[in-house]
Amino acid sequence: MRSVPGAAYLLAILVVVFAIFGSGFATMANVLNIGVQSSVLLLLALPMTLIIMTEGLDLSMGAVLSLAGVVLAWMLMHEHGLPIALAAAAGVGLAFGVANGGLVVGLGLPPFVATLGTLGIAQGLALVITGGQSVTGIGDALPALYESRPAGIPFSMAIAVAAFFVFRFTLSQTRFGSYVSALGGNREALVLAGVRANAYHVSVYALGGAMAGLAALLLTGRMSAGHPTAAIGMEFDAVAAVIVGGTSFERGKGSLGGTLIGVLTIGVLKNGLNVLAIPSSLQVASIGVLVIVALVIDSGLKK
Amino acid sequence: MADRYNSSPVNDVTPLLEMRGISKSFPGVRALDDVSLTAIAGEVHFLLGQNGAGKSTLMRVLCGAHHPDAGEIVLDGAPVRLTSPADARRIGVAVIFQEFSLVPYLNLAQNIFLGREPRGILPGTVNHRKMHADARRLLDTLGVDLDTRTLAHELGVAQQQVVEIAKALSQDARILVMDEPTAALSDHEIDRLFARIRALTAEGVAIIYISHRLQEVAAIGDRVTVLRDGKNVATLNSSQATVNELVHLMVGRQVETIYRRKFCEQPGDVVLDVRALDADNGVQGASLTVRAGEVVGLAGVVGAGRSELARAIFGADRVVGGSVRVNGQPLGRGPVSAVRAGVGLVPESRKTEGLALMRSVEDNILVAGLRKIFPSGWYCARAAAHVAADIVSRLRIATPSTGRLTRFLSGGSQQKVVIGKWFAAGSRFFIFDEPTRGIDVGAKAEIYGVIEKLVADGAAVLMISSELPEMVAVCDRAYVVRDKRIVGELTRADLNEANILRLAMHHDA
Repeated sequence: MRSVPGAAYLLAILVVVFAIFGSGFATMANVLNIGVQSSVLLLLALPMTLIIMTEGLDLSMGAVLSLAGVVLAWMLMHEHGLPIALAAAAGVGLAFGVANGGLVVGLGLPPFVATLGTLGIAQGLALVITGGQSVTGIGDALPALYESRPAGIPFSMAIAVAAFFVFRFTLSQTRFGSYVSALGGNREALVLAGVRANAYHVSVYALGGAMAGLAALLLTGRMSAGHPTAAIGMEFDAVAAVIVGGTSFERGKGSLGGTLIGVLTIGVLKNGLNVLAIPSSLQVASIGVLVIVALVIDSGLKK
Repeated sequence: MADRYNSSPVNDVTPLLEMRGISKSFPGVRALDDVSLTAIAGEVHFLLGQNGAGKSTLMRVLCGAHHPDAGEIVLDGAPVRLTSPADARRIGVAVIFQEFSLVPYLNLAQNIFLGREPRGILPGTVNHRKMHADARRLLDTLGVDLDTRTLAHELGVAQQQVVEIAKALSQDARILVMDEPTAALSDHEIDRLFARIRALTAEGVAIIYISHRLQEVAAIGDRVTVLRDGKNVATLNSSQATVNELVHLMVGRQVETIYRRKFCEQPGDVVLDVRALDADNGVQGASLTVRAGEVVGLAGVVGAGRSELARAIFGADRVVGGSVRVNGQPLGRGPVSAVRAGVGLVPESRKTEGLALMRSVEDNILVAGLRKIFPSGWYCARAAAHVAADIVSRLRIATPSTGRLTRFLSGGSQQKVVIGKWFAAGSRFFIFDEPTRGIDVGAKAEIYGVIEKLVADGAAVLMISSELPEMVAVCDRAYVVRDKRIVGELTRADLNEANILRLAMHHDA
């Protein structure tokens, strides 16, 4: 990483403040708790970083995650087995991602509009399938997997950390990674270089959908049930984390390390406010403030 | 004379590239008409012509972006078919456009090998070590000391251009097209670029070089091809070509009268008085006047700074020094004070800056004049309709009704709506930026008619145009702009295409 995003300073300040004023914040159990709570968000924020780097946006991620979680739970309830259930959830996510990509790249719709539409569709489907009720009775396999601790760390954290390194490797070491930056930075150059830019562009959105499907594993595992509105609004946190982390909507500039810091900042903020017993409705507002403060710091650092 | 203007390669040389009889039409325009161009290995071949002469179209055909309606492209004596930019690249054609094709947040090596990255061990991965080593070697051959890990957006313009050249060389380009390569370079950087060009030609690369700076022909050129109105005019050895002769060839025929107006005999009071204007968009020390009853031109090549000057006068870009007075009163900051002082700007891109395309003719006409028509702040639909209908009939705007959305109008009618907007605002001084771009010939004459009527009624007009015949036919006087400065004034007697070109293009005339 070439420069430290403004959020890194904010994160450090928040940690210090909460550690002083919030009793129980600086405990091992709570630190792991923050990690677990941030895992799902990181799984969305990583592909969101790539999408925003292409000068795009995916507002449907939260709703697609909810839908995939419901599908996962429903498949488990009907005893289809975890691998098949997970494949179905990921498949639903992938389908929505491909649809987003098709609408944006194929039909040329603005990403905001296209993914707002698929947000509505995914949310509606989740409610229709469940009748608005939670899907429970998902058996023991997923909860057991979720409670496992590979290498001593909670399962969801292990998945999130692995995903982070896979994305880092992909962005820095593969052709796909270079083309993601080129799609946002200078799409014409990519086309003139003879690269099938449209195919790569669609696959960035497809990746976003698939990751939302994968994240359903953690979300449903945590709740031992599928809730049709479980992840409502999570795209807001994901976009906030990406922006706070210094990724720009212009010119293909992006940093996954920055996104990780953004996710942790949001995680620490929410957790710390909980520890201080501040009502959850204020937490949403606090994330809004966080985004603005981080951007102000960044624009100040540039000068 | 005919032979001098038809310089062909020495007989025993097979041309590397021949474009034969290329024709290309777009709706309403014959952009290229039977144009031919040959390039020999190791030469720098200049391609000259006015704006719209067909240079860009010809180069787009060469790089596979346009498909010609007729003609063939022959490489090493064998015809080739180019259906895409990838085809052109495969046969060794590389184009460095004015807008660079670098990706800002990729490093130099990634940019140079974009789309052709050396494969790594795992599928989909890139062998970064090999890529950086190859990039290093390329930059070394160009004598460039840049770190291949630098991100492209951190480079200056001259360095970006070097990376573009490296990118072209990495594709084993044998024919390198450079479009205005020196436009953004300092003298020192130009020297370095020329040294690189000589090194490339020594290796047998043919370079097709487009430039507005005619003195570069003598500095680096071997042969020159001049295009005019989409046709070949001449190809000659650059040692034989003087700047004056090239200007003459580019202007060519005596201007056919596209429009003849009665020029202003007795201009009235000074309407616009600009003194030593500096603006943060680069305009420096501009001084000019426009009197009532006059059409004054702002001439220059594209990018010379004419629009910037107009925007600074209008207050759309920030003024940092000097003064702008309209009817003797200094203008305050911003377009609001300009509009209140009676200045109307008819901008270059009417669809994005001049009109709200999804609103009606009436809405567009009224938008700048609401404060004047309804000083109380209360809107009266009947009065609005009356004002709009009056302007539509005065300007003879071809529209079925004043409620028609402006996006459905022809280019000429759209332009009249933009002009009508300033009628409604009561403007007495008009700035026209490329008023007839993209408008068909008949509508052009009508726009000229509107301009003439404006000044006959005592208004004043400042007109920017890249079309020299238009400038000569319509303007009473003209200022020539180059490098964001006014470099000369041409009175009616001196106002001809050759004089404009001379002032607009000479680097150090």
